[in-house]
Amino acid sequence: MSTLQDLYKLPLDQHKVLVANRGEIAIRIMRACAKLGLPFCAIYTAEDAASGHVRHAREHGGEKSLYRVSSYHDANELMSVADMAECTAVHPGYGFFAEDFRFARRVTKRDRKMIFIGPSWKIIRELGDKINTKRLARSLGVPTVPGSDRPIYDEVEAERIARSVFDFQEQQGIKRPLVLVKASAGGGGMGIEEVYDIDMFRSVYRRIRNYALRQFKDEGVLIEQRITDFNHLEVQIVSDRSGQHPVHFGTRNCSIQSTGLQKRIEVAPGFAPHNISYSFNAEKVLVDIVHYSLTMARKVGYDNVGTWEWIVTRNGEPFLMEVNTRIQVENGVSARISTVNNEGGVDLIAEQIRTGLGQPLGYGQEAIAFDGVGIEYRLIAEDPDNRFTPWVGRIERFSWQEQPWLTMLTHVPTDEPYEIPTEFDPNLALAIVWGKNLDEARARGREFLDGLVLEGRNAAGDSLKSNVNFLRANTERILRF
Amino acid sequence: MIDISKLLDEIKASPYREIVISTPHTGVVTFGELREGDTVVGPQGQWKEKPGTRLATLERERNPKPILAPEKGEICRIHKELEGRFVEAGTPLMILRHMLTRAEVEHAILKKALHLFRAPERAKYYFIPEVEKKIRAADAHSVQVRDGMELLIMSRMKREVPLNYSGPDGVIYAIYFTINENMDAGAPLLGVCPQDQLPAIQDVIMRVQTEWTERG
Amino acid sequence: MDNNIEKRLQSLKDRLSYARDIFAGKHDDNLSMLEEKLAEFNARASMGEMQDPYADIVSLEDLFSYVESRLEGLITPMDKVRIVRHPQRICLRDILENVYDNFTEVGGQDEHSLDPSMLIARAVITRRRGKKTHTQSVMIIGQEKGHGAEFRNGGSVKPWGNAKAQQYMRVAETEGIPIHAYIFTPGSYPVEDYPGAAQQIARNIYCMAGLRVPVIAVISEGGSGGAEAIGLADKRLMLSHGYYSVISPEGAAAIEGHLKAGERATPELIEHCAEHLHITAQDNLQFGYIDRIIQEPPLGARPNHFDFFRQLRQEIIRATDEVVIQSRGLPGFRKLALARLRRPDINLDETHIRWGLSSGNKDRLVERRQQKYLHFAREAALDKRPFLTKNAAALRDWLSKPWVHLKYDFYRKHQRRIKSMVEEVGGEIDLIKARLFSPWRKIARLPAKKTEAAELTSLSTWVDDQRRSKWNYLSPRYKIDRTLTCPNSATYGCLDLWGPDLFAEFAGVCSHCGYHFPMEPEWYVKNVFDVDSVYEFNAEIEAGNPLNFPGFDERVAQAKAKTGVKSGCMTFEARIDGMKIVVAMLMGTFRGGSVGAAEGYKFVEAAERAAKKRYPFLAYVHGTAGIRIQEGTHGVIQMPRCTVAVRRYVQAGGLYMVLYDTNSFAGPVASFLGCSPYQFAVRSSNIGFAGPGVIKETTGMDIPPKYHRSYRALSRGHIQGIWDRRQIRANLKQALLTIGGRNLYYR
Repeated sequence: MSTLQDLYKLPLDQHKVLVANRGEIAIRIMRACAKLGLPFCAIYTAEDAASGHVRHAREHGGEKSLYRVSSYHDANELMSVADMAECTAVHPGYGFFAEDFRFARRVTKRDRKMIFIGPSWKIIRELGDKINTKRLARSLGVPTVPGSDRPIYDEVEAERIARSVFDFQEQQGIKRPLVLVKASAGGGGMGIEEVYDIDMFRSVYRRIRNYALRQFKDEGVLIEQRITDFNHLEVQIVSDRSGQHPVHFGTRNCSIQSTGLQKRIEVAPGFAPHNISYSFNAEKVLVDIVHYSLTMARKVGYDNVGTWEWIVTRNGEPFLMEVNTRIQVENGVSARISTVNNEGGVDLIAEQIRTGLGQPLGYGQEAIAFDGVGIEYRLIAEDPDNRFTPWVGRIERFSWQEQPWLTMLTHVPTDEPYEIPTEFDPNLALAIVWGKNLDEARARGREFLDGLVLEGRNAAGDSLKSNVNFLRANTERILRF
Repeated sequence: MIDISKLLDEIKASPYREIVISTPHTGVVTFGELREGDTVVGPQGQWKEKPGTRLATLERERNPKPILAPEKGEICRIHKELEGRFVEAGTPLMILRHMLTRAEVEHAILKKALHLFRAPERAKYYFIPEVEKKIRAADAHSVQVRDGMELLIMSRMKREVPLNYSGPDGVIYAIYFTINENMDAGAPLLGVCPQDQLPAIQDVIMRVQTEWTERG
Repeated sequence: MDNNIEKRLQSLKDRLSYARDIFAGKHDDNLSMLEEKLAEFNARASMGEMQDPYADIVSLEDLFSYVESRLEGLITPMDKVRIVRHPQRICLRDILENVYDNFTEVGGQDEHSLDPSMLIARAVITRRRGKKTHTQSVMIIGQEKGHGAEFRNGGSVKPWGNAKAQQYMRVAETEGIPIHAYIFTPGSYPVEDYPGAAQQIARNIYCMAGLRVPVIAVISEGGSGGAEAIGLADKRLMLSHGYYSVISPEGAAAIEGHLKAGERATPELIEHCAEHLHITAQDNLQFGYIDRIIQEPPLGARPNHFDFFRQLRQEIIRATDEVVIQSRGLPGFRKLALARLRRPDINLDETHIRWGLSSGNKDRLVERRQQKYLHFAREAALDKRPFLTKNAAALRDWLSKPWVHLKYDFYRKHQRRIKSMVEEVGGEIDLIKARLFSPWRKIARLPAKKTEAAELTSLSTWVDDQRRSKWNYLSPRYKIDRTLTCPNSATYGCLDLWGPDLFAEFAGVCSHCGYHFPMEPEWYVKNVFDVDSVYEFNAEIEAGNPLNFPGFDERVAQAKAKTGVKSGCMTFEARIDGMKIVVAMLMGTFRGGSVGAAEGYKFVEAAERAAKKRYPFLAYVHGTAGIRIQEGTHGVIQMPRCTVAVRRYVQAGGLYMVLYDTNSFAGPVASFLGCSPYQFAVRSSNIGFAGPGVIKETTGMDIPPKYHRSYRALSRGHIQGIWDRRQIRANLKQALLTIGGRNLYYR
């Protein structure tokens, strides 16, 4: 039985990585492993047998590199396969177990220990708790959404705070102030309600408190300002296991979203002060949020990749929203505009694996430079005109024109029809477009979308619905506040 | 109306169903003393509270779990070569030859006699809460359905859409879907018996009760 | 042959077959000899060969009597069990007809009864003193076996039958007439239909613990819970051929032999258990659990034993008289009267003592009854407290009593009055202050805005974050790297749980469906109560083997070694958010949490401590399988005994709460636990009277799965709520604050 420290000392090529995910991200992880010369093992479920990641594993994996499991959600399956395939590390990708500190803890604490490729479980737990994160930010002078930073259990106190959040907004000249009441133990949009009138507060408060008690066994409630007019920015952080020298890979703007607040277009960098004029000092905002993010990362000893999510108001005030302790879908768009020691082709997932397995990062912030603008489109089978309802069916044709400025990431095969599985989000592909400036990037984006072929049919014979038109229409809006 | 005698004769001609027992998840499989040709039983007792014969044991993460026979039957194939080996989820372990019970024959014939309400798309289905409550309190027969009535919820891609019933008015006679399991597009979800055909359906059941003898 | 001879011959045949039945194949030589003689007589009589058939039949009868009295000396405990179960055994209706002078059945007639196995009647006894006759009324309550009539269900009473009994106990109390309870039951019918077997027996026992009329019990067949349901009496008489036991010998043999459902114990094992359970009248008289034995004719009383009925009548009158006399009058007179009653030559039909009691007498009656039970079975537990400690405790109690009285009964009462006065005055002053300062207030409020804004954007102080604190105790099972399958996984699709998560952070709760895996008793002690607030007392009272049950010493020693505790009941004082509380915890880890003399002793002491200190009293039942059968009646007597202690505590104003966890069954639930008005259960627990195996065995019924789940007990009204394990502390606190109002001790 080896300890975790022993595992960190192993040479890279003696590791084997369990790819505990599916679809596009699984493929990217396998590619990154190949790049680092690491063997891997992939998993799939019965419904997902036609996914491109299964084919990729079959074609590029070695011995013991693909197993069928009952569910991606069953940690026991992942542990069982990892032991069988003799893996030394687990890469969770995003979604599933990526931000599950218990899973990370189990991977590193079980009898046959493995490396969890992601921050240490304690950091996941600490930053996964929104109260903790908010209090940590405030203790470092990092701006957070105005409101309470601890669970409120007392009705009278709750009402007093709600009142002052209303007053606070009025003082700032906000015309329709809103207060958000949320279960402090909740997450994922559950147990959140808006209040626009203080007289409604008590009934909403009680409703949320009762819900929280039922659902989370904790009746604590958070009361915050609800900010409506904002841009969604994020800062990409990378750090090695020392946790001492986190660096950033710039900012992204993810403001173009579906009605369900799911990202659809991500752009790096976060603002373009040279091309677009803003009502605030956009350059300073970017510098500030990077600085704040690094400050927090240093404070907690952050030891892998992560994203600090920010909301920036029309007045140019940034507020920390949350920290995503994982690799994100849109990491590629940051990598696309980055160079390390003047070399392009940065692969953040490879960097995540390499540092995650214990290698030092090997360079500092000064080695990282940025060039141009990257746009990432998320191609999804859905109907944007009808509340982004997912479309299910069979994809018959899927092709695009290869370009030096285009990176396509997809698990959907282009040489045979593909049945979209109903168990997962109907993401089809990520298209990353690069241009030397905003105008060029936008033009290339449109060019790509115009040349894209995406056709299919469902059981009823209706043709495929996708968000291509939505993406095209929104390309113009990119980086405008 | 359907020709029950003919259907019964058809079923009598091959009164068996093959049940493939496969692993629910990964793990190391061990078989007991069972051999091909042995007879096993499914859950027994008034409430099916006594579990069926243990067919194999699947151990994962130091948690040995029995795989139990779902029905009575004869083992006609057993993959003994897997003994002591690690298997993937969904690996076939054995095949049971199960002689149809009266209830199953009834079920099969009813499926032809009833109006079937089918799944419009591959998704998971469940009843709307009011109907669910009714079924739980009494049974499915107590639920009257009308054309256009909101009856089910279709769940897929993490979204839930209400689904209206379409077809003749009647009572729900059979439920073919199980919670948390995907139903393919076109798979029957419900068997509905129109009010005026109830006597005819009762007759079908009577016929099966009298003409089908359970053996083995 | 004339009719008379024929009848007498028939009677001899009955006696013979009866003897064969009760000896179950033993003493065959004697009985065969009788059979031969009988056949010989028969043959001769039918041939008309006899000159004086009357003389011959008398000598044959004498021979029968001779053999019967010889066999009488050889009767084993198991033979007695067969005697009381025999259809020829006297039953309650025989007693009503032969012992009482007149009666009216009030609990139904024959099969037209709520429960034909429970018979209730108003009866009278007429006594003569000189020329004057006195008619005295009594309430008769008892199980009716009806000589094997099927609808009587063998005297196995259903929950509603016991409820009927309770109803008429109350009637007797209202009318001020004594109760004569006749116990003819192998045990209660263990179904959980409303009101539930255990729940109703508990109510009966609780009721009898405070009943304000004399209660006399006569035991023929005293089968555990069923017997206790009407057996808590001022005087308990027992028929010499009866038995009084915690469990049927067959049941004990099934447990001792570790038999599975459907398997049969060997006759030898059953005989062995019957012997070592010490179930006879003589045993129980020696233990002190009965007051007197009524001698039956050889081989047990049958309906034609009229002398026996006359004797029973004398005994029951004497017992009632004694109880009445002991409850009233001057001590000197009492002694005299009692001495007169006990004279052997007295004919009680020709004396008269009024059975009515004054209010003060009734207080004395109840106090005497309660004290009688509280003193039972103390010697059956191993009390290893040093002599001085035991007595020092008593001395301290004696010294502190006046102080406690002063503190709670006097000071607290007046303190409340003073406090409310201060509050009123304070309110007035606030009002005046508000008026005086109102002009300034508006000005003073303005600068406050800035600090409010700061509160919204900078770090606040957070003091009550212990709500999110971790567990103080983790189950040692968390150290094992393995997964566990939730029992509900087939229904709810729960994924396997990783042991280290489940037994630490999850507190043994399935994160998907909420199923509660059992946890160790320590988990509750350390996680429910304030850290370091637990103070255990009476740990030195140890479980023993009072009946010297073969092989049981080793098993008790093993349990002690395995668990590190000395009995299945831990009693301690603790605090919840500063509120003091006395807790008695029955631990399922120590011999299944069964209750014997030591456990009962500690429970009683805990209740008394709670009463003395004016603390709320919580019975936390981590698990109990019932009464510890190897202690026999020393165990079963804990049912009424602990209930008496609980009743005294509640009557004195205490808040008694019960919290069930894992599995709680049988005697304890059917007495001192089930009588609490505030019973709660932890999720996934089972509550009931008898387990599925026993129900199948006794009633022949298959019971559905989940029959004993706590939510069914909740629907039935047995328990008042179901708690999540992780919420026990918060819920207990809330219960103490809301159920325990001003009038409870801890305020």
